[in-house]
Amino acid sequence: MPRMPKRTKYRKQQRGRMKGNATSGNYVAFGDFGLQSLETAWVTARQLEAGRIAAAHYLHRQGKVFIRVFPDKPISKKPLETRMGKGKADTDYWAARVKPGTVLFEIAGVPELAAKNALARVAMKMPTRCRLIERRLTV
Amino acid sequence: MSKQAPVIEATKRDRLGTRYARRLRTAGRLPAVIYGHKKDPVAIDMDLKQTLLVLHHGSRLLSVSVEGKAETCMVKDLQFDYLGTNVIHMDLARVDLTERVTVQARLNFIGTPAGLKVPGAIFRTISETVEVTCTAADIPSEAIPIDISHLEAGAFLTAGELGLPPELTLEEEADTPVCRIAMVSEEEEEPDEAAEGEPEVIGEAEASDEAAADGEESKDE
Repeated sequence: MPRMPKRTKYRKQQRGRMKGNATSGNYVAFGDFGLQSLETAWVTARQLEAGRIAAAHYLHRQGKVFIRVFPDKPISKKPLETRMGKGKADTDYWAARVKPGTVLFEIAGVPELAAKNALARVAMKMPTRCRLIERRLTV
Repeated sequence: MSKQAPVIEATKRDRLGTRYARRLRTAGRLPAVIYGHKKDPVAIDMDLKQTLLVLHHGSRLLSVSVEGKAETCMVKDLQFDYLGTNVIHMDLARVDLTERVTVQARLNFIGTPAGLKVPGAIFRTISETVEVTCTAADIPSEAIPIDISHLEAGAFLTAGELGLPPELTLEEEADTPVCRIAMVSEEEEEPDEAAEGEPEVIGEAEASDEAAADGEESKDE
């Protein structure tokens, strides 16, 4: 089941604009390894679910997979063969706004090779170029 | 514990600002600043490779030699680029070796926990560091080894149970969890019934309730 909010303040949103880089959620915080986006995109709830399933199948229920983004943006789409006008269309799917640097997935509790292979599979399901990162230096 | 702080050669920066700092980085230098002890801050730059090597080895106490004059400094902060990979700036605080300082001591969990033999058990690190107080000379130069081989499934290791070296005083609550052997549930992602279909719109339900109540009142009249 793709993720979506349980409650929202407004039913529909404007498209908005994404510029710049991620200033939060841009480092590995919960797991040992992470998958970081290198591009800007709307990552849909289906893509996130596909990534989660890919990681879960590869890891055979070992370790823990964290999804660091949540699809809280409703994207509306007019039905096919519909004339323009008559107001904004209904929500078609939900998406997470992702900027360069955003950590999408993290994995904990598995060896490095397994985590890297799992995240490589997850990266195939993502709409952006991604790279694998580890925990960074702490002071 | 650190016996001798690694020496790093640095030069003073005359020109400050983004543009000059960027030029230094392309030349393989790391911009930094030294402050503290009620002296004026000094903007410096140091060799990036050498500094990173020292930092990756775990040293947080450095002897910075600026124009032949050495100062003992503690790494106070690191700035990263937008992808969080490259260090782009470092804050150094002047310290005396006898001065007591508060630092984050890194932990290195060693051993295989006994609880991992249970199916579905995974080792979860809650915090890789603990806040400790010590003299500057005793700042740990490497991660403190913590034996976790005795941990059973579902068990926590708290900060009070770490068995830190005597020269380090724990600053956190003794019952703060540091790591645990967690059980991964068989079906983690149960389809949430509330999440199916359309999400509830805040305010609409209340508005419809009020409208219904108003309708009933008008009927009564």
